[in-house]
Amino acid sequence: MLKRFYDNRFRLLGQGLLLAAACGLHMVAAAQDQLQREGYFEVRSGSTALVNGVHLLDARLQLVLSSEALEALNSGVPLTIELQVQVIRERRFYPDALDAELTVTYVLEYRPLSQRYFVRNVNSGDQDSFATLYSALNNLGRIQGLPVVDDALLTSDRDYRVRIRAMLQTEQYPAPLRMLFFWRSQWQLQSEWFEWFLER
Amino acid sequence: MVPRAIKRAFYALLTATGVGLSVVALFLLSRTAQNSEEFGRLHDIILLINIAGAFVLFVLFIGNVTKLIKDYRLSVPGAKLKARIVAMFVFLALAPLIIVFYFSTQFINKGIDTWFNVDVEEGLDNALSLSRAALEMQKRQHLYSTQQVAQRLSQVSDRQLVFELSMLRRESGAREMTLYGSNNTILATSTDSASATLPSPLTDEVVLTMQQDRPFVSLESIENGVYEIRTAVAFRHSGRTQQIRVVQAHFPMTERLSRMANSVETSYQEYQQLLFLREPLKSNFTITLSVVLMLSLLAAIYGAFILSRRLVAPIQDLVAGTRAVAAGDFDTRLPAPTRDEIGFLIQSFNDMTQRLAAARREASLSQALVEAERANLEVILARLSTGVLALESDLRIRNANQASSGILGVDLANFAGDPLPEVARGKPLLEQFVDVACVHLDAGETEWREQIVLRGEVGRRVLTCACTTLPGDDDNPAGYVIVFDDITALLQAQRDAAWGEVARRLAHEIKNPLTPIQLSAERMRRKYLGVMSEDDAQVLDRATHTIVQQVEAMKEMVNAFSDYARAPDMEIGCFDMDKLVHEVVDLYRAQERDVKIVLTSDPSMPEVEADVGRVRQILHNLIRNSIEALDNTEDGEIEVHVSVAEIGGINMMQVKVEDNGPGFKPGSVSQVFDPYVTTKTKGTGLGLAIVKKLVEEHAGTIRADNRKQGGAMVSIRLPLNEAAREAMIAKAPGRAEQRRELA
Repeated sequence: MLKRFYDNRFRLLGQGLLLAAACGLHMVAAAQDQLQREGYFEVRSGSTALVNGVHLLDARLQLVLSSEALEALNSGVPLTIELQVQVIRERRFYPDALDAELTVTYVLEYRPLSQRYFVRNVNSGDQDSFATLYSALNNLGRIQGLPVVDDALLTSDRDYRVRIRAMLQTEQYPAPLRMLFFWRSQWQLQSEWFEWFLER
Repeated sequence: MVPRAIKRAFYALLTATGVGLSVVALFLLSRTAQNSEEFGRLHDIILLINIAGAFVLFVLFIGNVTKLIKDYRLSVPGAKLKARIVAMFVFLALAPLIIVFYFSTQFINKGIDTWFNVDVEEGLDNALSLSRAALEMQKRQHLYSTQQVAQRLSQVSDRQLVFELSMLRRESGAREMTLYGSNNTILATSTDSASATLPSPLTDEVVLTMQQDRPFVSLESIENGVYEIRTAVAFRHSGRTQQIRVVQAHFPMTERLSRMANSVETSYQEYQQLLFLREPLKSNFTITLSVVLMLSLLAAIYGAFILSRRLVAPIQDLVAGTRAVAAGDFDTRLPAPTRDEIGFLIQSFNDMTQRLAAARREASLSQALVEAERANLEVILARLSTGVLALESDLRIRNANQASSGILGVDLANFAGDPLPEVARGKPLLEQFVDVACVHLDAGETEWREQIVLRGEVGRRVLTCACTTLPGDDDNPAGYVIVFDDITALLQAQRDAAWGEVARRLAHEIKNPLTPIQLSAERMRRKYLGVMSEDDAQVLDRATHTIVQQVEAMKEMVNAFSDYARAPDMEIGCFDMDKLVHEVVDLYRAQERDVKIVLTSDPSMPEVEADVGRVRQILHNLIRNSIEALDNTEDGEIEVHVSVAEIGGINMMQVKVEDNGPGFKPGSVSQVFDPYVTTKTKGTGLGLAIVKKLVEEHAGTIRADNRKQGGAMVSIRLPLNEAAREAMIAKAPGRAEQRRELA
């Protein structure tokens, strides 16, 4: 009798744990789905290397577009993605100084005739096309050898920090859209600052 | 005043700024809604200005509504009218605004939807599909050409590669052709442009496609409106290494085809953008419309407040003026009116207050005269020793002079407005007075006159009373005036004077023949007693003895009358009452062994200011009176209490003499102080009459009554000093007259 009671208890406990695990998984999946629908920008890694007196940036970004941004892109609305790079000089008694700043602007566009995604670097004018959005965003998120600052412009005995972030820019859109984007969280795509010390 | 003006100016400025900003911003917003590039940049700022304007108006609106609700709850004059006007204006503004809003949103939604024609969308889709199909043909042709080139190149040795590649490029019509070896290395390239740069390496996508052993073909957009087809094919070189190589070619499209493809793509893209923009555009238009309507509504409501305030202001002035007039301020003048009906009303109000002020001044003068007359009358009434009592028709006390209060023993002035019968309840004198008066008044007698006898604790009082009815409307009396006078003292004085005269005559007429009678009787006794027989001598002896004895008794009586009639002057002096009363009581204790006399006196009592001879006589008379009353009583006992007390604010000496005899005859208590009224076998009947006379000469009071436990009680109260005596005289004006008459 007692054994059956304990068996039932363990069975119930096992079922409860299973149910809790299922609920947890469901919640994680729902959160992931929500995150996917909301979209997010994230800087996964970043580093600089001094090559020929110039600090070159390598970074990996995770760019996931929100459902509304994706809909706009597929409707022919070009998306502007900015990569902001800042070189900050540390100061002891004053606020840190921003010694160099670089903004690289990319335009991601879908062309219905060729059914391909185009990525254009506004700064350099380079353009690449991709058959899938995944490969386009993957290409966008892979920054390699981007010249940031000439080491000669930096003070030799000071410490510098470099920080980068990526964001979806909505300034260039028409006023009605801009007003809409202002109130919609799905258009507030911006990564946190990713920061490290400049190696010299 | 100044802060209020500044506040009003600030509100006016705020309102003007808000409305002005809103109007300008609305105009600009309407331009931005048309997607104008010029105003598009300022869209956010303009929208913010509009919202700020709406906020300012909303704050003003809330402030006004709060004030209106507060005024409404406090019942501020004009608040209800203002609320009604505002509600009416709001309704008038709201109804068309809601209709306009509804139809405008409908129009916007439907109108924008109609821009996106289904046929156009389908046509664009078809055009795009057609273009794709046409381009697909080109892509296949160019892929086929590239595959041919790859086949040819697979047989070509490395040394001839450059030459062969150039030839094949020209043959295929490609703009650029590049051969890649392993590791994405460029083995050879050929281009039709002399200034061409180094070809870029294969993209990841191409490499991946090649790894999957599939050919690569895609349509690329080089620049605006210029397209090319990029192909890539992998092949195995037939050489010794059997290396996998990739040839990539760029085929330009004809300008015409490029233009057409670009046109189709651009149109399609723009249409898709418009489709995407449709909902935001609707939202934008709706928001713009909502802001415009909200601003209009708020402005209309605020305007309604201002208008209602202006409309209600003169009415509020009128209400305030009316209240001031109601409160008695007839000098209120309202601000200079306008020329409309309200202005006429205000002018009439000002005229009315002016006339009212004049009338009030006249009324005040008249009232002052009346008051003066009334004051004179009150002074006269107050000085009168006659009581005057004015009653309403329902017997409420209207007025009573001081003398009436003194006579009736109740301060009637304090009961002004109260019904006289209710005031009289529990007050014996007044109750008897009211009973008599009510008999006449209930009988409807308009004028009556009667002498009323009131029986109280201090004896009876005789009033002569006359009543007159005040004429009123419709034969109803407006009230009554009862005039009465206390003639008790006067009657007593008359009676005393009469008794004095009787006594004097008796003394004169009776005393004179008594001596000859007595002498004659004694002479007869002396002359004939010795010569008569024994029997006759005894008769003569008894007869003459009786005559002499009776004559002596008559002499005593006549002397008593003489004493009563004689009123020597008062000789006021200070003496020790305790000592005096002990002397008198000790005298009687020695004489009367059968009667027990108990004396209660306070040795520390202050000296009394009075005529000591009269007071001694009072004590003698009272004690003798009690001793005579105890003739037939065994264990007779007399109690004498002497004390000093403050009665009615006046220091009085009180002497109370009680005995356990038969007491006064029932019904004769009120007459015990009259001469010749006695219940005893002995005495002249003048004892208490003389006591009363002596007490009244001292302005004191005397009261006689039967004790509950049996026996009689006589209590006298004499003023302790001259001041108390004066106070007693002032309290009983009738007594003063009596004293004057006696004097």
